[in-house]
Amino acid sequence: MAKLRNVAVVGFAQAPIVAHDAHRTAPEMLYPVVRQALAQCGVERDAIDYQTAGSADYIDGRPFGFVAALDVMGTWPPRQDSHLEMDAAFAAYYAWIRMQAGECDTALVVGYGKVSEGQPERVLNLQLDPYYLAPLGLGPMSTAGLQASAYMARSGASDRDMAEIAARNRGAGARNPDAQLRTAASADELQRTPWTVEPLREGYVPPIGESAVCLLLAAEGKAETMCKQPAWIGGVDQRAEMQSLGARDLTRSASTKLAAEKALAMAGLASANDVDVLETLSTNPVEEMIVREALGLPARGETKPAINPSGGPIAGHPLMMTGLIRLGEAFRQLSGTADGHAVPNAKRAIVHASQGHCLQQNLIFVLGRERRWS
Amino acid sequence: MKRPVAVVGVGQTKHTTRRADVNIAGLVREAVDRALIDAGLEHKDIDAVVIGKAPDMLEGVMQPEQFLVGAVGGHMKPVLRIHTAGSVGATTALAAVTHVASGLFDRVLTIAFEKQSEGNAMWALSPNMPFMPPLVAGAGGYFAPYVRAYIARTGAPPHIGPMIAANARDNATRNEYAHLQEPLTVEDVMQSPMLWDPIRYLETCPSSDGAIALIVANEERAKKGPRKPAWIKGGASYAEAMWVPGRDQVNPAAGRVCSKHVYAQAGITDPWNQIDTAEIYVPFSWFEAMWLENLGFCPIGEGWKIVERGEQKFGAHLPINPSGGVLASNPIGASGMLRLGEAALQVMGRAGAHQVEGAKTALGHAYGGGAQYFAMWVVGSEL
Repeated sequence: MAKLRNVAVVGFAQAPIVAHDAHRTAPEMLYPVVRQALAQCGVERDAIDYQTAGSADYIDGRPFGFVAALDVMGTWPPRQDSHLEMDAAFAAYYAWIRMQAGECDTALVVGYGKVSEGQPERVLNLQLDPYYLAPLGLGPMSTAGLQASAYMARSGASDRDMAEIAARNRGAGARNPDAQLRTAASADELQRTPWTVEPLREGYVPPIGESAVCLLLAAEGKAETMCKQPAWIGGVDQRAEMQSLGARDLTRSASTKLAAEKALAMAGLASANDVDVLETLSTNPVEEMIVREALGLPARGETKPAINPSGGPIAGHPLMMTGLIRLGEAFRQLSGTADGHAVPNAKRAIVHASQGHCLQQNLIFVLGRERRWS
Repeated sequence: MKRPVAVVGVGQTKHTTRRADVNIAGLVREAVDRALIDAGLEHKDIDAVVIGKAPDMLEGVMQPEQFLVGAVGGHMKPVLRIHTAGSVGATTALAAVTHVASGLFDRVLTIAFEKQSEGNAMWALSPNMPFMPPLVAGAGGYFAPYVRAYIARTGAPPHIGPMIAANARDNATRNEYAHLQEPLTVEDVMQSPMLWDPIRYLETCPSSDGAIALIVANEERAKKGPRKPAWIKGGASYAEAMWVPGRDQVNPAAGRVCSKHVYAQAGITDPWNQIDTAEIYVPFSWFEAMWLENLGFCPIGEGWKIVERGEQKFGAHLPINPSGGVLASNPIGASGMLRLGEAALQVMGRAGAHQVEGAKTALGHAYGGGAQYFAMWVVGSEL
């Protein structure tokens, strides 16, 4: 692997995930977290070279929803900027590429969206092929149900396995003040909840939630001045798959597997067992099992990396920013700011982010307390 | 720029009101195939795909790049989707350049498209926002007051807009891909109905179905390609906030700052004499005069005089939009990338009947939002 530029996460702030913030617009929710992230790093907006955002017009329910966020991102005087119609984790990925190109040294990355103002199950139907799939009325829960059934048939995973994974995430979420579901629940309790879409139960899937997120990235030379313990990025890769549900093996995530292989190789690690923490964008227990398999980890039971110590998306899934929260959580673990949900002595982490139906597109970051390249 | 990057392939569709013979994937694929053939490449040669389009509501598909992954050859590759309003096509191409400049990717395919016939742009661009009076007037209704402000400030005579519109349509007669290819006289334009005072019907961009794809490559690959590449000499994208006291939408700060940054990268100190041709984003006629000033081609208040003297016509000192520009073809999300792609074709010497003779340096420009997003590049015939 050629020598790349050391880039780190140096700040992260998140509005606690709630079902519905009745009193604030998306930009109003975003403004305080932008200020908090800058304050963490002891800088003002003028010190940041570049800004980028992830959001979706269909979540905002209007065209150019992201324009409204410019004001609270401090876009005056004019700033170098771009916006991605993707989970904001991909905006962080793009900012990292810009730093590799030498186009900036510092970047502000935000994610936002008032998910509660729409009906995600109906809105996300519109992500599907408009000619062949969307007219069938499939929403993300029904496509996830198909995937879960297929996975159970292939792997032998049971309803109980799902309940145990959901319970582990819920237990972790109870320790994370930014999680939406903050009460632990036992596998027995969750297994008694009704089907949302069989074989997925209410207790296995996240409720509708919204938040606002700001993360700061900085290259070596700047990062050390902005943060006592930066989370250095050692490897990154992302891959997309064809959407068509019949054109891919829904029980495996080939794109996660390839992205993880590339990112681990970039980071100089042999396997996912070499990290202490794994944050995944898995919106139900089956997605978690598929991602774990793709990373070469056991699908069920104990693993060396602690998985979703934040509670993961099952404890809170604000669309368009759930992936960036995973990156922020890895930063918290590595920088020693995870407090009540800290994994003791965490030195390295893998972040998985995803978007689309049934894990269509996947992004992997590998981070560590030490710089990758000297 | 740290590592040299060049455009090595350009492909676009014939822009038209309605492409009923293809769906969105078919339209996009047509441009992609043409770009690959142009560059002498196949899908396996492409390392990543960067896609842009304007608001998803224009076709009613959320994040359509996801269902297009197969059609654009993106399966198991990195795919990124950009959306920066009307400037998106340009910001998207610049994101592809950044990918190559990072050293992590050798060749990147970048695509922008709009299939306006599958939706209704006037509806999609007239949102009913909370706490704001519903304008329900589309982009023209939004921008007309700033055109009036420009006229009030500069004292430009009323025929300037119609002159720009007639010139754009004259240029489009030489571009086989342009949507509107029927020539117009200034008189024709002045007699067309008033839509948003002072913008008349024939001073307004059409609704088009169209797509463009570019392939950008690193120095080694570009030099090995079958054709002369267009080298990226500078590029940047800037945005400015919406509600700021002193913000000037007639002469936006983001446009000035962005062009200065790009000129500095490209070593341009005198744009009027150092740039041979420019493709700039003019959805409504008067913006050509306004952007000539904003881009530093002339002193403030004198953009309309360039038009009056005809110095921006094809064959004159600084041909503006020799392709016919947005006034002749407007697949919204693609329009910005078309500007950048047309600038590249000019310095490659491959613009066909609308080739500006001896063009060595060209500017491609786009803007979007409430004149808030600006993205541009300068391309050159030599590294």
